[in-house]
Amino acid sequence: MIAAAGTLSILLALAAAIALVVQGIRHRSTGSKRALRGPVFVLAGSAFAAFVILEVAILTHDFSIAYVANNTATTTPLVFLFAAGWAALEGSIVLWGVVLAAFVLLVWLRLDDEDPLGVLALAVMGAVAVFWFGLMATAGNPFAVCTGAVADGCANSSWWPFAERAMPAEGRGPNPLLQNHILMAVHPPMLYLGYVGLTVPFAFAIAALVRGDTGRAWLDRTHRWSVVAWIFLTAGILLGGWWSYEVLGWGGYWAWDPVENAAILPWLTATAFIHSAVVQRKRGMLQAWNYLLVIATFSLTIFGTFLTRSGVIASVHAFTQSSVGPALLVFLAVVVVGSLTLLAVRAKDVSQAPRLDSLSSREGFILANNLILTVLTIAVLFGTMFPLLVEALGGSEVSVGRPFYDRAAVPIGLLLLLFIALGAVAPWRLATGEVLWRRLRWPMVVGLGAGAASVLIGVDSAAVVLTVVLAFFIISAIAWRFAATVSARPERVDRAAAKVVRNDAGYWGGQLAHIGVALVAISLATTNGLAVRTTVTIPQGETAAVGGYCLSYIEPFARSEPNREVTGIRVAVLDGGCSEVLAILEPRLNTYAGTSQPIGTPDVWTGVVDDVYVGIAGGTTATVDLNVFVFPFQWMLWIGGLVIVAGGALALARKPLERSGSSDVVRSEPETSEVRR
Amino acid sequence: MTDRATSLLAVGAALVFGLVIVVGLATGPSEPATAADRVAALSAAIKCPFCAGESLADSSSAVAADYRTLIEQYVEEGWTDEMIRTEFARNFGDSVILDGSTSSWFLALWILPLIGFAIGVWAIVSMRRSSDRSRERADAH
Repeated sequence: MIAAAGTLSILLALAAAIALVVQGIRHRSTGSKRALRGPVFVLAGSAFAAFVILEVAILTHDFSIAYVANNTATTTPLVFLFAAGWAALEGSIVLWGVVLAAFVLLVWLRLDDEDPLGVLALAVMGAVAVFWFGLMATAGNPFAVCTGAVADGCANSSWWPFAERAMPAEGRGPNPLLQNHILMAVHPPMLYLGYVGLTVPFAFAIAALVRGDTGRAWLDRTHRWSVVAWIFLTAGILLGGWWSYEVLGWGGYWAWDPVENAAILPWLTATAFIHSAVVQRKRGMLQAWNYLLVIATFSLTIFGTFLTRSGVIASVHAFTQSSVGPALLVFLAVVVVGSLTLLAVRAKDVSQAPRLDSLSSREGFILANNLILTVLTIAVLFGTMFPLLVEALGGSEVSVGRPFYDRAAVPIGLLLLLFIALGAVAPWRLATGEVLWRRLRWPMVVGLGAGAASVLIGVDSAAVVLTVVLAFFIISAIAWRFAATVSARPERVDRAAAKVVRNDAGYWGGQLAHIGVALVAISLATTNGLAVRTTVTIPQGETAAVGGYCLSYIEPFARSEPNREVTGIRVAVLDGGCSEVLAILEPRLNTYAGTSQPIGTPDVWTGVVDDVYVGIAGGTTATVDLNVFVFPFQWMLWIGGLVIVAGGALALARKPLERSGSSDVVRSEPETSEVRR
Repeated sequence: MTDRATSLLAVGAALVFGLVIVVGLATGPSEPATAADRVAALSAAIKCPFCAGESLADSSSAVAADYRTLIEQYVEEGWTDEMIRTEFARNFGDSVILDGSTSSWFLALWILPLIGFAIGVWAIVSMRRSSDRSRERADAH
């Protein structure tokens, strides 16, 4: 019954998506919102129903559904049971579909009654939905029924919901890594909200190109959607890093794994896009570039999905190899070739005479950072694809990992920081040397002062010192600008500050995000350049000194939990003099039902400066080997990330722009940031 | 304070701090890489031969831990970084070296982003030039 209802929901959603495309194209001239109501509501309703039905099957342990049998067990805790709805291949496609359907509904709700651009954009979103629900109805059916049960799961399945079933007595359970931390329930949905949200600007861009409407209307309509998607993508990537740090036990948050790269690629181009979109809206430049960026961003989301689900790369993130991969590759090819062909056809209309008055201007510095982000995208994309390309060209097997990316990303990142500071304070059109000097002389002193202080307290890494200089340069330049803008107003300081932010929330939200970037940069530099990484062996009751702290092995412990056996140790973290206990940590090894390999779970103490990160490396209960890492300012990465997200959210509070036709001039944005001081 | 005096003060302070940074970094007690640092760097640069695309440093598997211990032994015995990398490449193939340097296509890995950068710089600079020309044309009319 559940399989039939689920499959029916998917088929209904597929039919509604097809109807949405047909209706959107039919009504592209009149732009009738009403004409799309039926397909939109059926799509949203049936996609939601498919998701709910899958969750019901999982929560009721209906092992006659192959997906449920192979990815959950009766012993799986409730939260991970719920998260199993998207933790494996087919379920992840259902989540993708339901999020896309929700975006379709939200976009439809915001359409005007007669909205030719919006109606055509929904047809494009409908076409994307046809692909995803088509995938669910064929190669990635989450409701396939189990026809060949084995001891713990399902070996054979059938698409036909009324096929003769074989119900296994117990399910296989989720991948142990995916049930080891609560963040796994949050990280994928966040990423998907980001990935799928980026469909909205893509759809409006394609609709505008099809219509030959090459003004900035599509940008005005999608600016908020782009920022919202970017916020979710940012949060999703950060939560992934946090999960990696808390769960994987190797003492890091970013490994330049191919799938991590796949997540950061659309983020890089989306970040470039939300900046260059501002340049087009303010200055009428970069039309063709914005189309290119939004097409690249959407294509990279599909590319990332392909990498994860095709089995072409070996990664801790990769789902098992499946027939979904070729379908995604074909879809990616259609998107890239189709979009670029359309852009080429409209090239004449979108390549207006560029008007860059001076390289030394806010748009000049934003352009420089667009270039830097694009180069980083190329480096990461090429590095990720390099082993495949070399093999395809007949070369020998090769690997590209952290050493290459670190070497490429550090100089690029430092340049990025420099231009963030310049772009934050430069006026539009022309930033004369005198204006820049006045706005940046004290921030420069603050940055160099912070760098000098770090040298005086013993930092001997040039990369770390340079990062500190540039990060403080950014933070103080923005603070200086804010203080100057506030003090130019007649009101009391608090009221003036509130008014300044309210009047230009887009700008100040962006600057808050830049402060977050500076904090993240400091943390990236210190946790990589100044970390202490070591393995120590400590007998029970003894103490060892590590990286300015003492660790004392108190006792081992073991306990049984419904879904796992936990063995661990209690270890005290003491200050450098080994006199004051700062924390008791419990690093553990968790062994899940059906697996023999234990999963190490580290434990972390966060102090004012350092994180002390302890994981079990081996040994016996009498004498334990511990991996110990001391990361300075690790917390600043999470706080910085939060500030970036908060900055994005603040930017959303900007006053809505007037709808424009094909005009290139913004009419209602304040210029508080341009106070001449 | 006049604007000129403010500027001079800022330049003076920047010079002093800049000098502290340069002299501090150049003459500071730059400790040679410890054995633990070298093991960490090498583990991050060599792929775990039997793990899913992870480096020896990133993998939490027992086999990766064994190879980290092996690197530690090599370091203690006085092997250079290059000798250790070569030993791993000899035993498990060139593909365990994670910086791509073992491929004859290695240069392409660096050249392509640089070409992208050069094209981008050219595009931005030519936008400026063409805007100069369009302004000249506008002035002429």
